[in-house]
Amino acid sequence: MIKHLSIAAFALALSAPVLAEKEFEDHTQMMNHGDGHLMDMTGGMVMGQNTDVLPGGCDSLAATKEITVHAGHKYAEKFPGRMFAFDVQEYQFEPCTKLTVNFINDDSVRHQWMMHGLPKYLYPKGMFHLEVTGPGKVTGTLIFPPGDKTYLVHCDIAQHMEKGMKGQLKIGKGNGDLPSIPGVTAYVIQDDYSDKTDSESISDTVVEEIAEITDKVVGNDSFFSGLTIIGLAIGLIIAPLLARKFKDMSAGEIVTYLFDLVKQAIDMAMKLISWLIGLVKKN
Amino acid sequence: MQKNPLGILLGAAVMLMPFAASAAVSLPKTVEVDRGEVEPVCNENNPEWRLAQTVDGVNIQESLRCSPDNPSAIAAQVKGTNNISMETLMDTYYAADGIIKKNDMDGDGDPDLIIIKLEVAELNGHSPDFNGLVPTFDIAPGVQPGMWVFAPKSRGMATNSFVGTDANPLLRAPSPVIRVEQGDTIWIQLENTHYFPHTIHLHGVDHPWVDSSGEGNDGVPQTSDKFVLPGQSKTYEIRPRVAGSFVYHCHVQTHVHLAMGLVGMFVVEENRPNNWVQTFNVGAGQVRHPSKAILEDYDSEYDLHYHAMDKELHSIIQESNDPRLIAKKMNREYDMTDSTEDYHTLNGRSFPYTLRESIIVAEPDKNIKLRMFNSSGETLAMHTHGHKGTITHYDGVEHNPVAQITRDVYDLAPAQRNDLKINTTDDGFHSYGEGAWIFHDHREKGITTNGMNPGGNVSALVYKKYLNEVGLPKTIGESIMPLFTKKFQDRKLPVWQNIDDWNSLGEIDADGYVAPPASKMAAADVTPGSADIQVPEDNSFRNLIFGLFLGLCAYLLVVNRTKLSAMISSVKGGS
Repeated sequence: MIKHLSIAAFALALSAPVLAEKEFEDHTQMMNHGDGHLMDMTGGMVMGQNTDVLPGGCDSLAATKEITVHAGHKYAEKFPGRMFAFDVQEYQFEPCTKLTVNFINDDSVRHQWMMHGLPKYLYPKGMFHLEVTGPGKVTGTLIFPPGDKTYLVHCDIAQHMEKGMKGQLKIGKGNGDLPSIPGVTAYVIQDDYSDKTDSESISDTVVEEIAEITDKVVGNDSFFSGLTIIGLAIGLIIAPLLARKFKDMSAGEIVTYLFDLVKQAIDMAMKLISWLIGLVKKN
Repeated sequence: MQKNPLGILLGAAVMLMPFAASAAVSLPKTVEVDRGEVEPVCNENNPEWRLAQTVDGVNIQESLRCSPDNPSAIAAQVKGTNNISMETLMDTYYAADGIIKKNDMDGDGDPDLIIIKLEVAELNGHSPDFNGLVPTFDIAPGVQPGMWVFAPKSRGMATNSFVGTDANPLLRAPSPVIRVEQGDTIWIQLENTHYFPHTIHLHGVDHPWVDSSGEGNDGVPQTSDKFVLPGQSKTYEIRPRVAGSFVYHCHVQTHVHLAMGLVGMFVVEENRPNNWVQTFNVGAGQVRHPSKAILEDYDSEYDLHYHAMDKELHSIIQESNDPRLIAKKMNREYDMTDSTEDYHTLNGRSFPYTLRESIIVAEPDKNIKLRMFNSSGETLAMHTHGHKGTITHYDGVEHNPVAQITRDVYDLAPAQRNDLKINTTDDGFHSYGEGAWIFHDHREKGITTNGMNPGGNVSALVYKKYLNEVGLPKTIGESIMPLFTKKFQDRKLPVWQNIDDWNSLGEIDADGYVAPPASKMAAADVTPGSADIQVPEDNSFRNLIFGLFLGLCAYLLVVNRTKLSAMISSVKGGS
């Protein structure tokens, strides 16, 4: 009986509609964990929430603003070569503004809207962070300190910022632009789109190997060998004979003599060849 | 004017020196290479985590290794993120909905609906903003191949802290071991946080080809499944009827996605009452909360996941940022049929890091269960020193107990699993006694890291008696300290530096060294078969003429010594 009941329970569990498209969830019932940290059990999270403490240097709130930011794969469509993005890449507010961010994740995975570099006495680790598993929405509030500064906003999930989910938020005039923001600034390290093939191809390696083997096979290529010694000996022996022959001759005369010898040799060769040609003709 | 025929002759001899055998015959000197930074052999990662303890009612076994798992994370893995205290949850990197366990449908004291969420993380990936990798995961000191892993669903940042780039502890290789109980209803929800499409195929695990809604459940895009696109999620639905050691992996462009690391062990434990199994074993290794069935026959249990990587493939994601470019290089330009595996890992790391995480701790007269899995591209030949293990299961299926084989080399084809029983009875057969016994691949390339040895998938089975206070083997051999340097891994350090008083096998300093001419005329090394590459050049005539020329010169020098010395003197005098 229990067995049958459990089978029925399994069947019920398997037919539960959890596998249908997840419905949009607005995370409004998060538990407050103190220090501006709110979280629920279904993937909604706010860190660094500050709704009422004025940062040092602010006499009063300059403004109270509210924005809605979307995040998802589809927002990367207008930026070829990106895969994830926010719907807006740049924001600007006056110092001492109180900002409420409605962060809507249109994907079915986690995304974040994370900001660094805030004063640490107000924001744990200097961070304001919204995180939600989509499709869903999470809302958080912070108050900006005085001073012109550019804050990075990004999703810190591995490769989400690198692949496009990155923006900048300027307070006052900001203090410059950040790199690699889709549609705003260029990469620091550019991709190489050229169609080059790898220089270290296999055929190159083979050529190198053949050169190596050739070196081995050819072996000793030096001017010095056993035959050099024989030549040296012959040279030493015939040198006195030559010396006698060329005695009293000037350098010019020696050269003339040598040319004469070569001429005689060539004459002999020519004679030999013409004799041979004559033989051929006779036949 | 000075006549010095001897001087002239010597001078001539000196001038001819380059052609003759030299008297200067010393070889280049030895130098010691600076090792650079040496990491501590044990990085002292939360030593209090090593103790046996109970967290949120979960009994956690002692883990004496240097780098133990976080007990809070184990509690979350056993009870689910929904059944632990908020304090315990906040002590981990798990998302609040990371592991949901509920519905004790059969009333046996354990949950029967398990919802497991998996994300896809890139490790050691590219950044367009700076010349470095994010988030980093070293498989050995300074060795950072680009990898993809399935990861438990985490919360917050991908890195461990704001200052460093090292990945948080849930983002690591290998993809985590998933452990479930036979007969439970399991929903595996893949949340594709990566920039490429992926799926999950449950290799060997009992699963219907379509799920209850008629959607594909086998993970194969060519037959049953749509791609799970970037930003999308998909739930796989199973109720495994058979226990055993199985596998899960991505089935999109499987040849490269599996090699990139999207593969892990999937263990189905036998059904028992009140059996809360450890759903994830992140980083594999020791299972600190073994299932009821395992504890009936064994004292401890270890998951050993072997993998290998071709550095050419694993650098593609580090060289470009544009996903279209990465896809082109990986899917169309990279040719796996030309690949060679360079990095060999055990549980995501190579030796010597394996000593921190993947040692097996033994005591005499105990039974240890090892689940070995090979996700590399070649057959492994795993060998245990000091022990002969018995293979109880092949691919999760129990081998006939009478016919079970006991041996010391265990071959593992790609994707295969061997369950091994190590009996530590000192009988000269099962065990040769206590010690720090290594176990490793006996294909010798398996014990290298990019060709450098020692490295690769080596680890050790260490008896407690031979374990020091930080959980490292009390070795009595050579120091392993030099291995904990980037210089060694980068091939810059001589393997045998300072093995003796005068560093006889140290680094050569050949800077500025000019070799003297060889003193012996080695005959051309003409081996049969290679001669057809190029016929050796015949230098006989050239050398004969050269000798003749030298002979004549020598004679002229001797004969004209008077004139020459006069000439030299006049030049000297004139200066």
